[in-house]
Amino acid sequence: MKALRRGLIVAVIAVLVGGFVKLRGKGGVPPTSGGWRELDGPDFR
Amino acid sequence: MTAVLLEGLGAVGIRAARQLVDTPGVASLLISARSAARAAEVAASLGAGAEAVELAPDDPLPAGIDAVAAALPTTLAPARAERALAAGVPFASTVDAADAIDALLELDQRAHAAGLLIAPGCGLAPGLADVLARHAADALDAVDEIHVARAGSAGPASTAALRRALRDPVLEWCDGDWREERHPNRELVWFPDPIGARECAPVTVGAALLARAFPGARRVTMRLAEPLARRLTWSGRRGLDEGWGSTRVEVWGWRGRTRESMVYGVIDRTAIAAGTVLALTTARLAGAAPALAARSGPAAGVHGLAALVEPVPFLAELARRGVKAAAFEGVAVA
Repeated sequence: MKALRRGLIVAVIAVLVGGFVKLRGKGGVPPTSGGWRELDGPDFR
Repeated sequence: MTAVLLEGLGAVGIRAARQLVDTPGVASLLISARSAARAAEVAASLGAGAEAVELAPDDPLPAGIDAVAAALPTTLAPARAERALAAGVPFASTVDAADAIDALLELDQRAHAAGLLIAPGCGLAPGLADVLARHAADALDAVDEIHVARAGSAGPASTAALRRALRDPVLEWCDGDWREERHPNRELVWFPDPIGARECAPVTVGAALLARAFPGARRVTMRLAEPLARRLTWSGRRGLDEGWGSTRVEVWGWRGRTRESMVYGVIDRTAIAAGTVLALTTARLAGAAPALAARSGPAAGVHGLAALVEPVPFLAELARRGVKAAAFEGVAVA
């Protein structure tokens, strides 16, 4: 009974920690260089 | 003298109305909305070129209409497209739900037989994203993959459609066939600032239009950012994303023997961008803006904007109206 209670406590803690950290999806990689340039006159010729 | 009927006066419809009135080739704008008083009020504010009409869903279209612009909730769009088709009038809609787009695509044969064009998905994405994909594709010899992402919605109906899309099963175009994504992964997508990085989930919305427009593409994916409202505001309240919106279009392909990617993006008020895209597309379908028509585009059928408009003049006209696209220059993120 004691082991079961400990197991339950460990499971609850694991769920809480998992929810807190919230690791979802594989994520992306941030662009390491460059940026956005507005399209203007020369782009439209 | 070109006359256009605008159906719907929500967040997008009211912007489209202003843009249509300001389009030189459009001489007359008829406005129909659920509330006749609202339609009359908006028509009065737009000046002599606009007129309110009372039009029940079962009424035939008024005579002399050259194109219909529908800024309606997704459930209403297919029936209005049928009505336009029956009247022999081209139809453009902001509809952005996969099932509603499929319903419009089912009209393809009838539209071909009638010699008419029907354009679903005339918003930010699908819509402007398709034009950017065509713009990128034109710079490549062959297109391999197209990945589109969108953040933001335009009004409560658009937010509801976005949430529904995020719940629905996900189909992706992969190696010439539709494949169900059983374990859809969210990914961080970098939109232009100030939206920046947002977690986006794969959806089906709009992929069918891109797959039709780019039959050689091996892979087509669409992703949507979850509305911020779900996490940050009380349920039912207007979402934070209903203001600013963005789309990011990444196209991979071949130039000679080199594999390259091109990334385009747009950031603007979602409703303004969608309303402007709807207005320009309707003007093109009505024949009021012939320079916007794709040079080798289809003459009839149901098509997305990647097939219907010439990207350079379309983007230039959008920029002139304040909706400006941007190119990402640097290291593309695969």
